[in-house]
Amino acid sequence: MAYFILRRALQSVLTVLGVITVTFFLVRLAGDPATLLLPVEATNEDIARLRTALGLDQPLIVQYLKFLANAATGDFGVSLRQRTPALDLVLERVPATLELALTSFVLGLLLAFGIGLLMRLSTSARLRTAIMWVALARQAIPVFSFGLILILIFSVWLRWLPSLGRGTIQHLILPALTLATYELALYLRLFNASLAVEQRQDYVRTAYSKGQGRTKVILAHMLPNALLPLVTIAGINLGLLLGGTVVTETVFSWPGVGRLIVQSVSQRDYPVIIAGVFIISLIFVVVNLLVDVLYGFLDPRVRLS
Amino acid sequence: MRALRPSLAFALLLLLGIAVLVAIVPLLPGYDPYTQNLGASLLAPGDRSLDGRLYLLGTDTLGRDMLSRLSLAGRVSLFIGFFAVSVSLVVGVGLGLIAGFFRGWVESVIMGIADLQLSIPRVLLLIAVAAILGTGVFKLALLLGITSWVAYGRVARAMALSLREREFVLSAITQGATPFWNIRKHLLPNVLPQMLIVGSYELGQIIVLESALSYLGLGVQPPLPSWGLMVSEGQTYLELDPWLSVLPSIALFMLVAGVQITSQSFTAENDMSAEVVKAP
Repeated sequence: MAYFILRRALQSVLTVLGVITVTFFLVRLAGDPATLLLPVEATNEDIARLRTALGLDQPLIVQYLKFLANAATGDFGVSLRQRTPALDLVLERVPATLELALTSFVLGLLLAFGIGLLMRLSTSARLRTAIMWVALARQAIPVFSFGLILILIFSVWLRWLPSLGRGTIQHLILPALTLATYELALYLRLFNASLAVEQRQDYVRTAYSKGQGRTKVILAHMLPNALLPLVTIAGINLGLLLGGTVVTETVFSWPGVGRLIVQSVSQRDYPVIIAGVFIISLIFVVVNLLVDVLYGFLDPRVRLS
Repeated sequence: MRALRPSLAFALLLLLGIAVLVAIVPLLPGYDPYTQNLGASLLAPGDRSLDGRLYLLGTDTLGRDMLSRLSLAGRVSLFIGFFAVSVSLVVGVGLGLIAGFFRGWVESVIMGIADLQLSIPRVLLLIAVAAILGTGVFKLALLLGITSWVAYGRVARAMALSLREREFVLSAITQGATPFWNIRKHLLPNVLPQMLIVGSYELGQIIVLESALSYLGLGVQPPLPSWGLMVSEGQTYLELDPWLSVLPSIALFMLVAGVQITSQSFTAENDMSAEVVKAP
């Protein structure tokens, strides 16, 4: 088990290293930061002076190693617009993003669990088909369109919920619902499939032969076993959800890391972009690592593969 | 589960609607996605402007005909989608077959890159790259293509692993066939049908990604329309003129749902044949 964790941790470190390496070289590919920083009327001497000051006159590999050394101490440079350390700007926004992502994650699981159970317990095939159709239709609507439709219904027409910003629990409902429902169709299908697998197991037949009712068998016997795959996939998808926050945050003006990155892109604020990409991929990788390790504990077969 | 599978007919109907929008609408009289008419801005669908012209789906803030813009946006999205799918198919199949056929360090390197790419959210990767390299339809299509090869690569590699042990490949090797001849003549034709199925699924994904990037202002740039961009332009007027955002959303839904259901019906057939083989 220790070996398994160590190997996965090493992989994660390599991934984050890979991500910031790619971003670093992409930024250098985009052009000389010195010309971007200075006004148009700057002379060649000005540019040369700034290049020396920023260390841009050194070989690329030296610059890269310096960048890595600085990044290791949390120094991603200073925001070109706000003149504050880029990493601080990003870290300020992390709680908002985590709040949205975790709420959506839990809400998504609860919805899948509740609706999936309803589908299994109900005897109406028509109801089950209808639910599945709605979930599939939801999956075909992009995040930003769905968010806008929710705003239109609940903020503009019904005036029940605020359409943008962060603060109260009401602000959280629409963005969280937008993200939580995206994978619902997948979760429902998975939950149904694993319930169907459990249904064929011997212990279920034993329970029925003891004279237990359908509801009791499903709730007490099949459910605990069928939940594990659902939780695993949801855990794996927590990363994807993190990607989805980028768009959702923009739709609802949610002050998170994703929105900061998008805003920094339009302002060409490269240090903030790099720091933001670093933080999101760091969260992504840590989450994946935790899910893997947790699953290694729960299901020992995983460790061997 | 069979009864739950959405019908293919419905999906084809949606796609037919999109086909009419992108292929027939530009042939209609009055097709004009660019000309601004400030005297006729923000007309509701079916309204007539002061000079008596009928706007079937209304106009946007600058008085441009919504129907024409939706049509052109569809063409842009479909172009980007098909172009990106072609690029990623070529890159993915190529790398996947090479990894699966040669094995060893070549496989480790290629699959390592694939794992690395999977460990970053794709939207984030695209935002970072688009931010730095700039945007434009062609660049966007290329970018989406290059970053989407992993799905094909993994499947192609898995298939190549089993194909390389088959007799027809082994016999070709003993008769002196070069690896690349084998990959081209024996492996490629065998994996291609499967790859096209992956491609049909990916088409929907790519179009969603493109529209999301355009929504964020990092994709298709004005004055060229894109459904995602139109949704974002309309968001400011959501209260009074909701159709500005709703119409492109409907178009996106029709295309994405149509593509997804159709591609699912391909995979469903495959799944069923797999089940038949497994059944005792």
